[in-house]
Formats: sequence, structure tokens, C-alpha cells
Amino acid sequence: MGTSTYTTPPAANPHPRLRPGRYGIAIAVAAVVVITLIISSLLNYVYLDTIPARTSLYGLLAVALIALGTYIGVRAFTRERASRRKHLIRAAVLLGLGTLLWLLVIDVFVFTQAAGPLIAALCALACLPTTAFGLFVVRRMDRNEKEPWRLVLVAAAWGAIVATSLVIWGETIWDQVAQHTLVPGPGLDASTAFSAGLLEELAKGLAVVLLFLVMRNDFDDVVDGIVYGAAVGLGFNFLESIAYMTNMYAIFSPEGYGWAAAGLQWYGRQVLGLFFGHATYTAFIGAGLGIARQLPKKRHKAFAIVSGFLIAIAGHFSWDAWVQFFPIDNTLFGLVEMHLRTLIMTGPFTAAVIALLIFGIRHEAMGLTDQFLKEAATGSGAILLDEVPILSSPWRRLKQRLRAFQSGGLRAYLEVARLQSAQLDLAMERWHRERQEIDTPLEAEDALRRRVIELRHWVPAP
Amino acid sequence: MSSAPYDQVQTLYRTLLVFATVAVLILAVGLVEFVYFEPPGQTTGAKARIVGVYVYDPATGTTLGTDRSAFGRSEEFAAVVDWSGLPPNLNVDARWYDGFGTIVGRVGPGSRPSELGTSSVVPVITPPGLHHNLPGQYTFVVERLQGGLPVEVLARRIVLVER
Repeated sequence: MGTSTYTTPPAANPHPRLRPGRYGIAIAVAAVVVITLIISSLLNYVYLDTIPARTSLYGLLAVALIALGTYIGVRAFTRERASRRKHLIRAAVLLGLGTLLWLLVIDVFVFTQAAGPLIAALCALACLPTTAFGLFVVRRMDRNEKEPWRLVLVAAAWGAIVATSLVIWGETIWDQVAQHTLVPGPGLDASTAFSAGLLEELAKGLAVVLLFLVMRNDFDDVVDGIVYGAAVGLGFNFLESIAYMTNMYAIFSPEGYGWAAAGLQWYGRQVLGLFFGHATYTAFIGAGLGIARQLPKKRHKAFAIVSGFLIAIAGHFSWDAWVQFFPIDNTLFGLVEMHLRTLIMTGPFTAAVIALLIFGIRHEAMGLTDQFLKEAATGSGAILLDEVPILSSPWRRLKQRLRAFQSGGLRAYLEVARLQSAQLDLAMERWHRERQEIDTPLEAEDALRRRVIELRHWVPAP
Repeated sequence: MSSAPYDQVQTLYRTLLVFATVAVLILAVGLVEFVYFEPPGQTTGAKARIVGVYVYDPATGTTLGTDRSAFGRSEEFAAVVDWSGLPPNLNVDARWYDGFGTIVGRVGPGSRPSELGTSSVVPVITPPGLHHNLPGQYTFVVERLQGGLPVEVLARRIVLVER
């Protein structure tokens, strides 16, 4: 057993000294995003000069603060504990300022115009618990190695704030041109649906691409991709729901149906469409990237990524373009029709992404079990042969944690949870190394092994 | 003889490719739909003249005041179309669309513009169950029809109904 010479365990996967080429791609993508946002905002301001258009200009500062805060926050977890706290506080302050500024801009200039700040706040409050529930479920789907909350929330924040800002200009131009040149009717609807599918999925997908490029250690396979993609979709859906609810309220409140119209939007988007919609579409982008992560050939990687985007765009397009062919009666039966419509139109896409998820979880579990056995066979002491059946099953892992809770309380529960998590990290690292799909040095694996052994001091063997 | 174990990722990859093929088909159907409703090469060069959009008095069926591009939601309004400049062999109609894309006013179709008179007043009809027009952008189009489908916009006006 190696003797630890440091008081604080290192980050789970220390980075190699030379940053891989994908960081360059990530920087280029980020630069394109920032430049697009700036150009979009300036053009909006100069040419449209409408009140909502000004928000994207004033909102630029908020976007910059959130981007910087996110970067510092995410990187803080790769630093030593001594300096981590300082960086986290900086990130929290920047994120807080950015969020407040952004909400202020949006509320005052957009939603206040439509329905007033109180209505906007109530709509946001109504969407918070459902979106939080969605994120909780999506994160729990990863049965073996749950993604860190910070990255899941970053993904959702991108979907809500950055992706929506990215599409404003593109969709505005597209819609203006279409409205002034096309024949109103199904052709115009198809054009608008192409605009939404293409631009919104590209904007949301960029977040998943950046996570794939920068946070490779937390982006293991198709399961992780689906989790991140769905989180981005839920974030986007959160803001879109607020926008539609306030808009519908403003339109129908003089008729006396304001709350009913907003409530119907809330139900359609935050209950019925919580998973059947943006979350499903963007999950496909994540699935494509996750599968690409584990493919050996570059050509296949490219096909997988493009496929993920194509499915997301097609799913989004089909809903926007063809929803008009499933009209809802203005009767009680309309409530049944509303559910059937979602089930028929988006259900097949959601079923397909669930199929990929289930298959991915099975594949991941098989790979990890194999690595548990191989690590146990080395006799390093990080994983014992008796532990393999427990580590291989999420239910047995939970039972082990609950037993620890009964005997030693919350502290014991958390210690066992940390040990299990470190053992899963080690097996995942080994799995990627065996598949030759990792760019961290072998020392990273040794560091994980030492961490498991260190944690084991506090936890009795089963 | 031993063979390399089959990599399950390949199954995921192939499944994704199958889904992507379906996606391409969906997008292709969308493109066909777009071309069907926006057939290329349908420009006749004919232009209708929208005289203006005015406040409308439903009691007399006439328009009042000057040409405007914005109205309050409680104001009734109508577009006035001059058919006289159109060739006699065109099948045309004129429609109002509200911000949700719903038809909220219409005249025609007429197999000849002269069937619709020298000019038409086309008011926006407040949808049943509502007291006033819904706010948003309203689009008024004069369209050429072919086989019952609008294939060309001969004139267009967009007005705003304020909140």
C-alpha cells in the first residue's frame, strides 16, 4: 500500500501536464459562442430596437459574468482544497451577480412589459419545483456513477440562459424573412419549425459539446451524455415555459382567462412536456457525443455526433411542424387529446432515448463489473472480491449504505457512500484505460487507488 | 480459435444510426411539405394593391380615418384591397392571420378578381368567446390560389395589435 504524503487527497483524475487538443477546440467553440452573442446583441439593438431586443445587449454582461463564474467554479474542483474555497466563493459571487442581473434585465424589459414582474416571478416560482424534479430524476438515471451536481446545474443554466440568448437573433431574422416572403399556412409553419429545430438544438447542443470537450473525466459514455443533454433541455424548457406563461397571461388576462392560459402552458410544458420535449431532444445530442466518446474510429465518432444532432433536430421539427395536424377540441375531451398528442408525437422519441439509456446502463454495468473483478484480482486492496457483488448492484450498494446508517448514523452512511463512489471512479478509470479512450496518465489511476485505500481506513469491510 | 469479444458500443452506434436514418426521413418529409405548400416557380409578377388598413365600423361596414399600422385591442379594423390592377384570369382571395396563425378574416376566393368587385373591405373578426382582438402581429395577405391552395402572395401588410 502506498503511503500518502499529502493531507488532502488529490482531485480524482489529475490532468496531464500537456492539455489535449480538444481544449483548443473547446476554446474555439466558446469564442464563437461569445462572438455570436455580441454580434447578435448589437444587431438586435441597432436594427430591431425593440424592448426585448435590448435585453440581449444589456444581458451580455450577465452572460459574461455567468460564463466566468461557471468556469472558475468548475475548475475550482480540480484545485487543492486549500485554495478551492477561495475559488468557489469567487465563482458563487460572479454567478450570483450574473443571475441577478440577468433576471433583472429579463424581468424588467421583457416579462414586465408583458405581464408585470409579479406575474413573471410567480411563473418562475411555479416552474422551479418541476424543473428541479426533472433534474433530480435525470441525474438519478445514471445508476452507477452519478454526475456531479455542479455540472448538471451548469448544463441546465446554459440551457436556460446562454442557449436562449444564442437563438434570439437567428430566430428573429429567420422569422422576419419568412413572414415577409412565404405564404402563410403549413409552408410557413414548416419553415418556423425548421428554424426552431435547427437553431435551438444547435444552441443547446453546444453546451453538451463543451462539456464533452472540457470535462472528459465526467463524461464517460452514452449514459452521461443523455444526463447532460436532458439537463440542458430542462434548463431551456424552464425559461421557455416562463416566457410562454407570461406571454399567454398578458394576452388573455383582459379576457379574464389569464391564469387559465398561463396554467395550461405550465401543465403542457412543465408536467406533460417536462421529459417529452426539450429534455428528450437534447438528450439525443448527449447520446451521440457519449457514444462517440467510446468509439475508436474518428469517422464513426463524427457520424455518431452528427446523428445525435440530426435526431434532436428532427424530433423538435416534427413537433413544431405537425402539432397543428392534431388540433385539440375546446371540450373536456380536449384534455385527453392533449395527452394523446404528446404521447403519439414525442413518445416515440422519448422511448428511443430511454432504450439507448437502458442499453447504455447495462453496457456500463458490465464494463464496471469486469473491472471490479480485475482490480480485486490484483490484490491491491482497493476492491475486495467480496465487495464485487455489492458494487455491481445499485440496490446492494444502497443496502450497504443503509446498514452503515443503522449502525453508525449519517456519518457512517456518507463514509460508505464516499468509498463506493471512489471505487466506482477507479473501475471507470480502469475501464476507459482498457478501452484506450482516456488521456489521463497512469498516475491518475494510482491516485484513485490510493484514495480508495485511504477511505477504507474509515469503513469496515463487508 | 478465439475471436475478439463484440463491443457493445457498436450496437449502440448502429442503433443511433438507425434512429438518425429515421430522422433524415422526417426532415425530408418536412422539406417535401415545405415545397408542396411553397412550390417554386410560382411567381406571376402580378401585384395586388392594399389601399390601407383602417379603423372599421361594423355597423355600416365602412372604414374610417387614415391608414394605420398599429391598433388597440378594442379597436376593430379592416384592410381595403384594390383588385383592379390584377389580371382577369387569376384565382385569388384575401385573408387576415392573427399572431397564432389563425385565419381571422377572409374574402374570396374568386375565380376572377372581378368577381370580388373593384375593391373589398376585409375586416378582422374577433374570435367567438372573446371580447376583443388578441394582441400580436396580424398579417394580411392577398393570395393567388391554385388547386384550392394558396401558392403566391400578391400583396402583404403586417399590423400590430397592442396589448
